[in-house]
Amino acid sequence: MLFKDQIDFVLQHIKKNKLRVFMTVLAATMGCAFLIVLASIGFGLQASMEEEILSNQSVTKIEVMGGDAQFTAEEVAEIESVENVQTVLKTTTMDAEAKSFFEDRETISGVRLTNFTDYASIAKPLAEGTYPKNENEIVVGYHFGQTLLNEADRKLIEEKSKAAEAEGTYYNGEEEGYKSSLIGKEIELAISSHDNPDKLSERMTYTIVGVMPRPGYQWVIENRIYMMDEQRTALENSFKQVMVDDSASDFQLFNERYDIYAKSLEYVKPILEDLRGKGYGVYSVTEQLDELNIFFLVLKVGLIFVGTIAVLIASIGIFNTMTMAVTERTREIGVLKAIGASPKLIQRLFLMESTFIGVIGTVLAIAISYLVSFASNLLLPIVLEAATGEANFSNIQFSAIPWQLVVIAATISIGVAMISGLRPARKATKIEVMQALRQEL
Amino acid sequence: MMIKVNNLQHTFSIGKKGKEKTVPVLRDVSFDVKRGEIVAIVGKSGSGKSTLLQILAGFMKPEHGSIVVNAQEIASLNEAGSAKFRLDNYGFIFQNFQLMPSLTAFENIELPLKLKGMKISERRTRVEMIMKKVGLTEVADHYPNELSGGQQQRVSIARALVTNAPILLADEPTGSLDSETEQDILMLIQQLNRELDLTFIIITHDEEVAMIADKRFRMHDGKLVKDGDHRVI
Repeated sequence: MLFKDQIDFVLQHIKKNKLRVFMTVLAATMGCAFLIVLASIGFGLQASMEEEILSNQSVTKIEVMGGDAQFTAEEVAEIESVENVQTVLKTTTMDAEAKSFFEDRETISGVRLTNFTDYASIAKPLAEGTYPKNENEIVVGYHFGQTLLNEADRKLIEEKSKAAEAEGTYYNGEEEGYKSSLIGKEIELAISSHDNPDKLSERMTYTIVGVMPRPGYQWVIENRIYMMDEQRTALENSFKQVMVDDSASDFQLFNERYDIYAKSLEYVKPILEDLRGKGYGVYSVTEQLDELNIFFLVLKVGLIFVGTIAVLIASIGIFNTMTMAVTERTREIGVLKAIGASPKLIQRLFLMESTFIGVIGTVLAIAISYLVSFASNLLLPIVLEAATGEANFSNIQFSAIPWQLVVIAATISIGVAMISGLRPARKATKIEVMQALRQEL
Repeated sequence: MMIKVNNLQHTFSIGKKGKEKTVPVLRDVSFDVKRGEIVAIVGKSGSGKSTLLQILAGFMKPEHGSIVVNAQEIASLNEAGSAKFRLDNYGFIFQNFQLMPSLTAFENIELPLKLKGMKISERRTRVEMIMKKVGLTEVADHYPNELSGGQQQRVSIARALVTNAPILLADEPTGSLDSETEQDILMLIQQLNRELDLTFIIITHDEEVAMIADKRFRMHDGKLVKDGDHRVI
C-alpha cells in the first residue's frame, strides 16, 4: 500500500471519530505540555544561575588562591609560558581614597592601577572612549558620572531616599549626577587616607578618556578610577602628604592581585591542571559551573521523570481510544485481511493512528509550552515583585525551553503514544477473518 | 489442475477447559477444480462448508492434508505469505457484501488495488473498466447505504474482480438478496465465468444457486460427496 494511501486511510478513520480523537489528543497535549513546562523550570533556573555567575566574571579567568598572592617576575614568566595562557594581569589597588573634583561636583572613589595593554586583551569593550595612552589619562567606572554630585543633587537624593525609606524601598541616586559624556573632560584628584578623609593632598589633573562597561550585577555602583601602573609613584607621593602617622612605615598603600587569563574557555581546564602541577593554588569559575551543572542535571532528570508520569497517564487515553478503534473496526479489519492486507500493514495502520495522536499532541504541547514559558517569565516577576515588594526578580528566568528539551519531550511523548497503540494494533492483526465478517453490521 | 485438495482433516475442541471434546469438522476431504470451472459446495449449517472455505482461503490451517492452488501449497504459507497469496489469486464475494461503509462504491472497488500498491492513475482506469463491466458506472460515488442489495453485491463482485484474480471464492453470494436480484447476480457470475475464464468456488446451502455450477459437492458431517456434473444455464 502506498504511503499516501496509508495516511488517507488513517485520516479517514480519525475524521469518523473526531470527538474521541480530539479528547485523546487533548490528553496527550496536556501530558506533554506538563512535561515540558515542568522541566523548563530546571532549564530556566540553571540559565539564570549561570548568567548570574558569569555576568560579573570572565569564563577565561583563572584566579589565584588568596587573590593578593605576590608573584615574582620569574613566576609571572613561568605562568605566561604555560601553553594557551593569554596573559597574567596584575591589578594594583590603592588602599586610600581619591576625591575627584569636576566643575561644582565631587565624588570619592577607589583607584586601581593596571597595564592597559594586558587589560585590553581580556576585558569587555569599554562603554565609551578608549584606554589611556598617556600617564595623565584615566578610565572611570560606569557609574562615575552618576556619583559626581553637587549640593543640589545631594539634597534631591536625601529627599528621595527619605521618601523611598518611608515606602520601605531604597533609592540608589540614579537620577542625579553628571549626565553628559565625560570623555575628554579634565578632573582634579586629591588623595586622602581612610583614617583622616578630610585631609587632602594637592590636586592632580587627569583627563578621562574611557568609561568602563556596565558591571554584570545591576546593584553594583562602579565609580573606580583606573590609571596606568606608571602613576604609582605620583600617588605614593600624594599619599605621603596626608599620612596621619609618618612612623607607620609598615603600612602598605598598594595591594597587588594577579589573575591569569586563558586564550579561550576550552583551555581553562588544562591550564588549571598544569599550574596546580607546578604548585600554584588556582581556581576558576568554570569549576563552580561544573558542580552547578551536575546539580541541575539531576534536577532536570527528576523533573522530566515526574513529567513523564503525566505523559504515561495520557497514554492510558490513547490505549483506550485505540482499543475502541480496533473493537469498532473488527469487521473492517476482517474484510481487509480477507482481501489480502498483510498483518504488518494492519498493525502499521493502527500504529500510525496512535502515532498521529502523539505527534499532534506533541506539536500542540510544544506551542502551548512556549506560550506558558513566555508568559511565566513575563508575569511571575511582576507577581513576585508585587507580593514581596522587592524588585530583584526581573533578571530571573523562571522557564527556558531549549531545543534539547523539545527533542526529549517529543521523543518521550511520541514514543509513549506509539507504545500505547502497539497492543491494540497487535490485537487487530490477531482478529480472525470469518469471526470478524460475521459481526453484526 | 488449478486447485487440488487432498485428504483435508480438521477438528474443533468444544467444552470447558480440561473437559474439552474434539469434534471432527472435515473428514478426508479431497477434490479438484479446473481452470474456468464453477464449483458449488452445498451443505446445511454445521456441515463444515465454512471451515472448508476458511482453509481454502488460507484464513486457517488444516490439521492434515494439503491444498495446492496454482502449484502453490497454501497450507504451508505463513500469515503474511497467505495474505499476499490471497491478494494475487483470490477474489472474495460475501453474503453480506462486506463493503466499507465509509467508502464510496468506487473506493470500495479500489481497495484491493491500494493494497497492491498500484499507482492512482492505473487504479482509476482499472476500477472504471470493472465498474462498466458490472454495470455500476452510475453509482460510483454512492456509499453502500445508498445502494440496493443487488448493487452492493455487484460492488462486492467488482472488488473481487479488480485485481484480475483467477479464482473467486463466494460465500453464500445471494444469501441476502431477493429472488429477482439473486437471478441477476447468478447470471453475472455465469457471464464473468464465460467471458473471463474465471474459476468460481461457491459455498451455499441454496440448491438453486448450486444449479449454475459445473461441479457440485455435498457436505455432510465433514464429508464431501460429489454430486455429479450438472450445468444449468
